[in-house]
Amino acid sequence: MGQSRSFTLGRRGLLKAAAAVGATQFVAPLARAQGGSGTVKIGLDDPLTGTYAELGRNEQIGCELAIEQINKKGGILGRQVELLVEDSTSANTGTAVQKAHKLIDRDKVDFFLGNVNSAMAIALGEVTNQSGVLHVVTGGHTDSVTGTDCHWNVFRVCNTTRMETNSVSKRLLSQYGKKWYFLTPDYAFGHTLQQGFEAALKANGGTELGASLTPLGTTDYSSYLIQAQSTNPDVIIFLQAGQDAVNALKQAVQFGLNKRFHLAGAQQELEVLDGLPPEARVGTWVFEWYWNQPKVPHVQEFVAAIRKRNGGKVPTARHWFGYVSTWTCALAAKHTKSLDARKMANFLQGFKLPPEVALMPNQPFYRQGDNQLMPTLYVGHAAEQGKSDPEDLFVVDDEVKGIDVAPPVPETGCKMKWPA
Amino acid sequence: MTQLILFNVFNGLIIGAFYALMALGLSLILNLSGVINFAHGGFLALGGYLALVLMPYTGFWGALVLAPLLTAAVGLVVERTLVRPLYGRDPLYSLLLTFGLAFILEDGTRFIWGAGTLPFSIPGWMTTPLSGKFFFLTGFRLFMVLLVTVAVIGLFLILNRTRLGMRIRAGTLDLETVSALGVNVRVLRNLNFGIGIYLAGLAGALAAGMLGLQPTIGSELIMPSFVAIIIGGLGSLTGTLLGGLLIGVASGVTAVFFPSASEAVIYVLMAIVLLVRPRGLLGEEGRF
Repeated sequence: MGQSRSFTLGRRGLLKAAAAVGATQFVAPLARAQGGSGTVKIGLDDPLTGTYAELGRNEQIGCELAIEQINKKGGILGRQVELLVEDSTSANTGTAVQKAHKLIDRDKVDFFLGNVNSAMAIALGEVTNQSGVLHVVTGGHTDSVTGTDCHWNVFRVCNTTRMETNSVSKRLLSQYGKKWYFLTPDYAFGHTLQQGFEAALKANGGTELGASLTPLGTTDYSSYLIQAQSTNPDVIIFLQAGQDAVNALKQAVQFGLNKRFHLAGAQQELEVLDGLPPEARVGTWVFEWYWNQPKVPHVQEFVAAIRKRNGGKVPTARHWFGYVSTWTCALAAKHTKSLDARKMANFLQGFKLPPEVALMPNQPFYRQGDNQLMPTLYVGHAAEQGKSDPEDLFVVDDEVKGIDVAPPVPETGCKMKWPA
Repeated sequence: MTQLILFNVFNGLIIGAFYALMALGLSLILNLSGVINFAHGGFLALGGYLALVLMPYTGFWGALVLAPLLTAAVGLVVERTLVRPLYGRDPLYSLLLTFGLAFILEDGTRFIWGAGTLPFSIPGWMTTPLSGKFFFLTGFRLFMVLLVTVAVIGLFLILNRTRLGMRIRAGTLDLETVSALGVNVRVLRNLNFGIGIYLAGLAGALAAGMLGLQPTIGSELIMPSFVAIIIGGLGSLTGTLLGGLLIGVASGVTAVFFPSASEAVIYVLMAIVLLVRPRGLLGEEGRF
């Protein structure tokens, strides 16, 4: 072995290094929080880096717009409101929990918002429940957040996965057929979505031809797609979100599978359709909020305000989640004239959102018993090109009332324990 | 069932070729300079984004030619200014450097182009399947395999037939002697680094055609490349190529029987190789 070799890295070094690269996923980026006295503080613990960075960032923009409006109207209980933002990361629940403790214990936030990631939403719910802080879950969809893991202080703006699958199943079964194949991301969100669809299939005499569990962050979907097409289904159901959804759909369309089968799924987001090349914008989906609702009051003002903060781009459901979550906090405080979490949570039971906050038909409300918002769901299909606007990439076919597709509270498994 | 397995083997080879392309660049740099380039994924993403920026001006083909070259140019500058001062020091230094660089590149792309996925369209005829039966064989995938083949042959020709290649190979074996014989090792390392980054840029431009283009695209693809190198054996480019193809096929075949393990299987394969043949399939003995 030559002298020059003494500094080269060997297999062991490479292995260690590879392990270290894996560990970067768990490195916490810099926090940014400003202190301040006399203000009401709202803490947002959401992903700003990694897979969900864009979704987290969009929720943040929605929060910021709401805060600006709230402050213009005199703040909360006469005090100005400030938003403290922490990066929860996209995948490391430990970091998210640590940031939550920082927001609650050190910064003493009055309200807590987050998270995009379902597993984090559940963990953060535990933390805020122990501290007795009012918590609005912005965008974590798995059922148990307002089901078996529900808490008196934890409210949720986005839908449960079951609400999403129930809202779209009917259309899929009646129009596209009863033999389905699932491509399911292998974590809580995907599993509960699949269970929801399976229940709908069973109730309607449909057949599940198979399901491929795909690891989170999969880049190549070809082997799963080969599997899916070999069963010759009526519908291939894609349950991936974010970047995974972009990869899966892009490849399915390149293989021409959209010409042989119907492609569909539950939750779809404008962020995903935006990231797809036009030919891959296909399929039947559920949107949780949509910006092009000309008949719904206040929506146009909201769209204009977000465009200003969002580089000219229209708001997505994520902006709406952040906006509604923040306004929920302000309205609860205003109506109870208090920052007492117990009082506010009590007030929010059955609380109907005013139209300027709701921005959707059928007056959404927080359901008593599981703290789940009952909004309107938009079932429709993706459009290759926007007609009136390049970002008009979704066509709404049905507006479904949340309360019609949500399982009743006793079925959610939520057993709310209020403090004495 | 047989057809399904055959399809997956075939498809696995396609994906494996792509892993190999990334891994070859990594391997090249590692072999000569002893630098584990953690920033390889970052350069890959840069290649993809540069292709996107160039496309409106140069078209897809122009972007495919220019983006990797520009990425390589950035690589040359990075090597000259940041990596070079660390040669001869403990490998930990360059490790930390490229580690940090990976973050800088990822956040840099996020800062410039945003966190969202950007649509990257390739020519229409490439995105359609060539045959109804072999629907997974699209023009783009076939082109990719072809390009990887050309790149690999080109690389092997450079390494085996040119003076530069001979020096790179000699340097890999014993850099000090090569230096003593009057070869400018600095230039050699610089060019070698550039070639490695060129391959990363090429992989990036290709990946953007298959996947969604977003800042983390590189970090999602980089782990299989490390595994390909370890399986193939350190110091052997043929091994790296073999390693890439092997994990592609293993992952594809596993997807038939146990889809959720299709990602894990490449690590299992790595563990087996390390237990049975620690130097990797074609690795040099005593390289660790």
